[in-house]
Amino acid sequence: MTITCLHGGRIVDPANEINEIKDLYFEKNKIISKPPSTSKNKIKKIDVNGKIVLPGLVDLRTHLKNITSGQSENILSGTRAAAAGGYTTILLMPDILPRADNPGTIQFIQDRILKHACVKVLLCGCLTKDAKGESLAPLGSLKEIGVAAISDCPRTTQNNQIFTKGVEYASMFDLLVIDLPRDISLSRNGSAHDGPLALKMGLGGYPRMAEELYVQRAISISKSVKTKIHLTSISSHGSVEMIRAAKEKGILISADVTPHHLSLNEDCITEFNPNFKMSPPIREEIDRNALVEGLLDGTIDCVSTAHEPFQEHEKNMEYDLSPPGVIGLETALSACYQNLKGCKEFSWLKLIDSMSYNAAKILEINSGTLSVGTNADIVIFDPELKWKYNNKNRLSLAANTPFENREFKGKVEKTFVDGKLAFGILD
Amino acid sequence: MDTFTWKRKNLLGIEELSCIEITQILDLAKQFKKEMECDNLEKDYLRGKRIVNLFMEPSTRTRIAFEVAAKSLHADVITVAEQSSSLTKGESLCDTAKNIQALGADAIVLRHSSPGSPLFLSRIVDVPIINAGDGAHEHPSQALLDLYTLQDRLGTVEGKKITILGDILFSRVARSNFWALSKMGAKVTLAGPSTLVPKQFESMGAKVCHNLKEALQGADAVMLLRIQHERQSSSHFPSLAEYTAIFGLNKDRQKWLKKGALILHPGPVNRGVELDSELADSSQSVILDQVSNGIAVRMAILYLCTYKQGVRNSL
Repeated sequence: MTITCLHGGRIVDPANEINEIKDLYFEKNKIISKPPSTSKNKIKKIDVNGKIVLPGLVDLRTHLKNITSGQSENILSGTRAAAAGGYTTILLMPDILPRADNPGTIQFIQDRILKHACVKVLLCGCLTKDAKGESLAPLGSLKEIGVAAISDCPRTTQNNQIFTKGVEYASMFDLLVIDLPRDISLSRNGSAHDGPLALKMGLGGYPRMAEELYVQRAISISKSVKTKIHLTSISSHGSVEMIRAAKEKGILISADVTPHHLSLNEDCITEFNPNFKMSPPIREEIDRNALVEGLLDGTIDCVSTAHEPFQEHEKNMEYDLSPPGVIGLETALSACYQNLKGCKEFSWLKLIDSMSYNAAKILEINSGTLSVGTNADIVIFDPELKWKYNNKNRLSLAANTPFENREFKGKVEKTFVDGKLAFGILD
Repeated sequence: MDTFTWKRKNLLGIEELSCIEITQILDLAKQFKKEMECDNLEKDYLRGKRIVNLFMEPSTRTRIAFEVAAKSLHADVITVAEQSSSLTKGESLCDTAKNIQALGADAIVLRHSSPGSPLFLSRIVDVPIINAGDGAHEHPSQALLDLYTLQDRLGTVEGKKITILGDILFSRVARSNFWALSKMGAKVTLAGPSTLVPKQFESMGAKVCHNLKEALQGADAVMLLRIQHERQSSSHFPSLAEYTAIFGLNKDRQKWLKKGALILHPGPVNRGVELDSELADSSQSVILDQVSNGIAVRMAILYLCTYKQGVRNSL
């Protein structure tokens, strides 16, 4: 039996608080301890000197949309993009066609995943039927068929009664509810952060308040029902403060932020480029700073990509008519590393905690760790490699990225899923 | 006339223009107007040029003024309105524009409800794009004709108090006028209900005022904007009657203005709502001057953006 040894790299394993240069061994699909020198097993050494060895990343928000026609993305292209970005587990949001609000559809998607996926794909079921926010989806049956969480994302259930009952009902099955905090009445025509820039450009504003009201809703409901609620794609500095205060009181709220909101500020939209249009919008520098600070101090639990693929003709149109959403799986780690490494509070352990172990803990899956005995979901990252993200190296079928031709320093070199190479080349 | 230094292919907005460029357009417009009045316009500047008016939103004044302007310069003009185009069949703006270019257009004049759509088109097609109003973003030809009208009557706008009153939030006219007037040294006040005139406009350098008397006092000119009641009456102010009661300009309130102050309106006017009918027709109203000046200004714009540069740099 062949054992693989990743030799000479820096192991960053937040679950075990390890950040040191040492060898990592795996056999078949499991991470193992260093075999005794008397072992007869053949050891295949991969030299990873100067590289960082990480647990596979976990994404809590991936959209693949119409997976059957697969023009903007399909399971294969989406998971190949995930592997290229170091993701070994992704949570697929329910806005697929057909919509994931019933066990039959979930089964159908699971079959597709079995055939085509090259990373682990967990499914998120709808909170309400057709994600319309009008009546609850069959959450118990969805749980039985195997969904890992519940959400209407990228929609948001506006009716407080339905949302509260949904959270309460889901808690009976220990189902995590993920909410994109957004008041629609305040943000319906909002295609940019509601501030002086949007005003000058004549764009409808999406105010911070539209998010913060629903962050407060989640906090109040979580406190009252005494159950976890996860807030996805936090964008406003006010939200960070509210979540921090709620956590201090022991309320079971968790939150994530996208790499884009950590990397960009609203100035990116001045050319009306729809590849910078997302929901929630990119806000001001004060928000970006608060999000970075919140991630590094643990207020924001993790980074989620909100990867949302569109075909060129769907996205490249008049800015206000273009649908919000950008792709992010392939650039997430590079973008986060690049934008956070200069911060005083930055450490590899914190970054990987937020992109892997913490997300796994929120989903309550045994992942995001390099502990002996766990699955060999491993990423090798070259922190020195300079590269540009563009058509030449893109694995996603969609190109709606805000990081087109952006130069990054640091790139995922190899990704192993259950010990098998899912991205990269073996020498 | 002096040699032009005009370098732009497109006219997308006023924000990006320099004072020199604004002055160039207006000087040329003045010359065109004079020649038209004396009936000795050299008529063939745009002969053989094909100008396409792509109007995706309803328009009377702007569309006709661009048509008249282009025809006065002997261009061939084709007007495409949304209802008569393949956009109603689901064709994208991008494809429509590419087809129009393929059909031999030398310039596209675009009116569209999406902010930034002229910039979007300018990246797709090679021909000059002239913005005839993009959502709530800019309406450069309107601002230029307003500035022309004001300069014509006041001599200069430098140091003058100009109040723009009404729905500023949804108005491209207000934004373009703000840029044009403030670049030329006017003191611009944006006035109206707080929901339609957010304080954040101050970050652009405007004075924001929610008190009508204060906004009008000492003004050399007031520019009224149409209240788009079909759009905001439910969420941004209680009713048209309330708007008229608090912000409508009438004979009594006219006294707050500087004596002889000009009244402008880009049209269409809601008589009796934002402006008293009597005032609209008074000697201080320059509303119809605005419209006729619009032809000369648009002739200048079309000439500068489409006339083959380098062949003839001066008139």
